[in-house]
Amino acid sequence: MDVSYLDLLMAQQEEVTTAEGGGGGIWVVADVVDGAVAPVTLEALGAACNLAGSLGAYVYGVVLGEGVTDGSTSLTTGPAQALYQAGADGVRVADHPGLAQFALEPYLKVLSDLIKAEQPEVVIFGATQAGQELAARLAQRTGGGLIEHVMMASLDEATRTVQGAFPVYGGEYLNIAACPEARPQFLTVEPGAFSAPFLDPYRKGEPTMLEVELVEPAVRVLGLAEGFEPPCVSLAQAPVIVAAGRQAGDFEMVQRLASALGGQVAGDRGAQDAGWIGPEQVVDVRGVTVAPQVYVAVGIRGDTFHNAAIESSKFIVAIHPDPTAPIFKMADLCLEADPKEILPALLKALE
Amino acid sequence: MRVIILLGRVLDLSGIVVNRRAGRIFVNREEYLLQPADRCALEAALRIKDATDAEVVALPRSLLPDDDVLRQALATGADRAIYLVGQVGNLPPDDAAMARVLAAAIERLGGADLILTGATTLDTGQGQLGPRVAEALDWPQIIGVWHVEASDGRVQAVRHEKAGYVAIEANLPAVVTVLPGALKPRYPDGARLINVYRGAGEIAVALEQWDVADLVEAEALKPLVEQRGQDFPPERERGTRVSGTPEEMAQAMANALRQRVRR
Repeated sequence: MDVSYLDLLMAQQEEVTTAEGGGGGIWVVADVVDGAVAPVTLEALGAACNLAGSLGAYVYGVVLGEGVTDGSTSLTTGPAQALYQAGADGVRVADHPGLAQFALEPYLKVLSDLIKAEQPEVVIFGATQAGQELAARLAQRTGGGLIEHVMMASLDEATRTVQGAFPVYGGEYLNIAACPEARPQFLTVEPGAFSAPFLDPYRKGEPTMLEVELVEPAVRVLGLAEGFEPPCVSLAQAPVIVAAGRQAGDFEMVQRLASALGGQVAGDRGAQDAGWIGPEQVVDVRGVTVAPQVYVAVGIRGDTFHNAAIESSKFIVAIHPDPTAPIFKMADLCLEADPKEILPALLKALE
Repeated sequence: MRVIILLGRVLDLSGIVVNRRAGRIFVNREEYLLQPADRCALEAALRIKDATDAEVVALPRSLLPDDDVLRQALATGADRAIYLVGQVGNLPPDDAAMARVLAAAIERLGGADLILTGATTLDTGQGQLGPRVAEALDWPQIIGVWHVEASDGRVQAVRHEKAGYVAIEANLPAVVTVLPGALKPRYPDGARLINVYRGAGEIAVALEQWDVADLVEAEALKPLVEQRGQDFPPERERGTRVSGTPEEMAQAMANALRQRVRR
């Protein structure tokens, strides 16, 4: 792509903002994890581009961190270029050693100055811990409305308002909300809710650097909490369950998968017969009925009683060597394979 | 030390039926519970009270039609509760407006050292009230904690981050939001529960009623976010088979899990 064309586009945009006194486009604040842009940011950019198309606005990305422009020698890598590739028309970068780790107050200062200067119409964050913290405080500071955990976004063209749908009671249904008068409109988008955009490797741009005035963070991190044990959650209320069955093979691998996902270990009758789990961990209508966000069935064939007990699970993954296993009728994601082969590769992929 | 606790209520999920085909939500039994996360925050406040003899003051997180949650907080061990009433317009104030109201209420109380509330609501899942109050007061915030302690002008909390459970600290005054299920909440005391509804004893004067109009201007109560109806998430597609080598299958599974497992 010809970069000079982009410059022309940017120059036009500057004119629009000054002429109308606001209407400064859709802004996406990037979440940088280990020096790369988090998938949720790219998804947010994709959603922003869709909205911008019907709104007639430009999409901007904002990256905060240290070394995020990648020395400007390589134009195809680094978070700033990733935002251009995902469809951003302009990128603002705040590069400072004091921004290397997320800390609320310094990030807030940079972003609130930017929002005051640029008067964006919509500001989108990923619904991560940092995004949630920043969005709520920025919204209060700038007098904007905030819709959190947005899973679907649509546009009310008449009032140039974004309507966001967010899950209620953990996804039983969605509420649609909008902030018709307050600007900017803040949204935090749920990871995985929007599809990731096509990354165009030929899209490039020159990010604009922001002045950083460093503020001391108010919260001090003291290090790992030694000896802290999270409270025990009963199996019926656990958000993530990894369950083993007769075909699981190595139960130790199942336990490792559960700890990698931060979930609880359970099993079917077969796992109890094998002596892997106690009777209080048997998922069955005669045992425990569960309703987790994620249920991973490792080597469980899935008899009627077991399948009835996992019916309210939000997402079920099944691994079983038999393609006719009844569990595959229940599962959202089915892997016809031997768990002994899948689990080591899975643990490696999750690291 | 004064600890403020912000409490809300939620419609009991077992009393409603979500009918996707009719495109409606039917409320069969209208029963309200204390928000689970707020209940944990109340427990955290009471543990701080047990340890440091702090004063615990309960405030509602939105304008409620009745003072049930505040009475429950008093029965469970809070020292004071302030029920906010007010003539609002067509729409009740949202979190942005409530943050202003609560900041004004805390100022009228003569300040506070710590504000505790739930990190999320059970129904709408919105967690913006805590940070918004922190911003309105210009206090530091610690969001989504599993454990909280406060003493000697400092608050210490445990939060889950990528590295594991991390201890963090801030100077008071501060706002801390507690995750649902973080602590095992205690039950209200039976005798206090009876007295608090009967209006007998010292507990009767512990529940005050303040008018919102005395705290903020009517214009400040206007909500920024409005409801525009309901929708349903896309139908689940069951039975999606993944094929390929074990490594490819494991990768596909890891991607799917990473999207859905929030740690």
